[in-house]
Amino acid sequence: MTRPLLHVEDAVKRFGGRVALDGAHCAVPQGSITGMIGPNGSGKSTLFNCIAGAESLDGGAVYLRGERIDRLAPHTICERGIARTFQLTRLFRDMTVLENLVAVAHTFNDRQAVERAMRALELLEIPELMHRPASDLSYGQRKLVEIGRTLMLEPKLMLLDEPFAGINPRLQNRIVGYLQKLRDEGMTLFIIDHEMRIILDVCDSVWVLAEGRIVMHGPPASVRSDPRVIDAYF
Amino acid sequence: MKFPLTVGAAALLAAAVPVFGNDYALTFTIQLFVFVVLAYAWNIIGGYTGYSHFGQMGFFGIGAYVGMLLMLHLKWHWAAAALAAGGVGLVLAVPLGVIMLRLKGPFFAISLFGLTRVFEAVSFEWSTFTGGGAGLYLPPIDNQKMLYAALALLSLAMLLLTWWIDNSRFGLQLQTIRDDEGAAEALGIRTTRLKVTAFALSATPAAACGALFATHLAFIDPPTAFAPVMEVTTIAMVLLGGLGTVLGPAIGALVFTVLNELLWTRFPDLYYGLVGIVVIACVLFMPRGMVSLLVRARLVAPGRGAFRRIAATSAAASASATPPSAAPPAP
Repeated sequence: MTRPLLHVEDAVKRFGGRVALDGAHCAVPQGSITGMIGPNGSGKSTLFNCIAGAESLDGGAVYLRGERIDRLAPHTICERGIARTFQLTRLFRDMTVLENLVAVAHTFNDRQAVERAMRALELLEIPELMHRPASDLSYGQRKLVEIGRTLMLEPKLMLLDEPFAGINPRLQNRIVGYLQKLRDEGMTLFIIDHEMRIILDVCDSVWVLAEGRIVMHGPPASVRSDPRVIDAYF
Repeated sequence: MKFPLTVGAAALLAAAVPVFGNDYALTFTIQLFVFVVLAYAWNIIGGYTGYSHFGQMGFFGIGAYVGMLLMLHLKWHWAAAALAAGGVGLVLAVPLGVIMLRLKGPFFAISLFGLTRVFEAVSFEWSTFTGGGAGLYLPPIDNQKMLYAALALLSLAMLLLTWWIDNSRFGLQLQTIRDDEGAAEALGIRTTRLKVTAFALSATPAAACGALFATHLAFIDPPTAFAPVMEVTTIAMVLLGGLGTVLGPAIGALVFTVLNELLWTRFPDLYYGLVGIVVIACVLFMPRGMVSLLVRARLVAPGRGAFRRIAATSAAASASATPPSAAPPAP
């Protein structure tokens, strides 16, 4: 069995007296689209925050390609190859779309960074937004620009925090197409979302989180029909 | 107006003052340059990085004392003393930045104000070294025009540094800290290193400027070196001209200094209040500063043009090289 790209082991996170993660575990194979679903407050975003270093774990560990990363600073975790989007988009509002992308590029000179940003915007079919201020964009456009911004980092693993929430079905389908294209090019994606239909359609495997614990893991077909999932999620 | 033209016109005007102006014009412009340097220095950390604070006069005052002591006791030339004062500002700013920049928002702003008051108290109490409340005196320098030239060059250097920041990825990354520091950190931007660099870039010229100001006055005492009024005036100038812009600090310093001079001579009892009313009105009705009016009137270009220009040339190059039907390459 091959070692997963990302492996979370018995993650525990408490906020005061509330336990957000209670020994959660998961693994994300290289080159896959892996999903995580769970009801509101189940700990999905907390788990993402712990993987990306925004929150520190109270117990357990996170490994990227076998290397422990949960004690590293967020920028170091990003440099190791994990890039993320946010549940509520967090673009740099006083900048244009192009500047949002160029600002996070580390390994290119200015021309290479701009050209890479232009290619990312073309891939996402939004080159016309290039010089628009981020504060002028619709919610769906901001979601697309956030995906473009993570592409600038050439990540090994993309963490997508509710990429389908609050946007229309047409744009949801467009994003599904982009994610599948990225996976086909070798990118690994880990998605959390409430959109059961899309997660079960697009992911190779799905983890189900409830009350900070993994209650089920498997291919979408088995997750869809599992009584524990139906019980926890519906 | 193109940026090089604007800089050229300002440089010509500045060069004309010592040639055609009288002593009053020279003194007025020296004080204007002091504020231009302070405004540009504050704009780097307060405007671009979003870490507004009330502690710049701490570095200005330390620079003033370092310069004064080097000139008095070691008989250094004022230019060398100013360079050394800048160096001391830099050396102090790095460890202070590492410690203080852990604080955010009002906590950072007020803590630096408190630190400046500590510096002021030390300079009062350590009278054997600083002259205490009586201050330190120098024989006035003969050639104020050389001092004028030094301050003009420092102002120009700050303008060019700000232009570079505005058009570089370093500047963009400073602005990511201003907009959303947590997101910037999550996206791999080394925010601590950038903040400390911006803080040091802000403190160094302020300290050098303090030494030049002390040379100009031929005197320094704690209330002059660490003056809270100069602190607030500097911040008001940046807000008036345009926070986080290339020309804002210079425009704000010019308008504010002229306004101050006009009101002071005509309404000596009321001028502080009148200046305050003007500043409040400007901030209320021009929250993006006077530069935004000039941009709207197309008299100056909007900032951060470098990446737009690169994108335009790249698009033109790829349009001429790529057949229209070709699919875009994947990133």
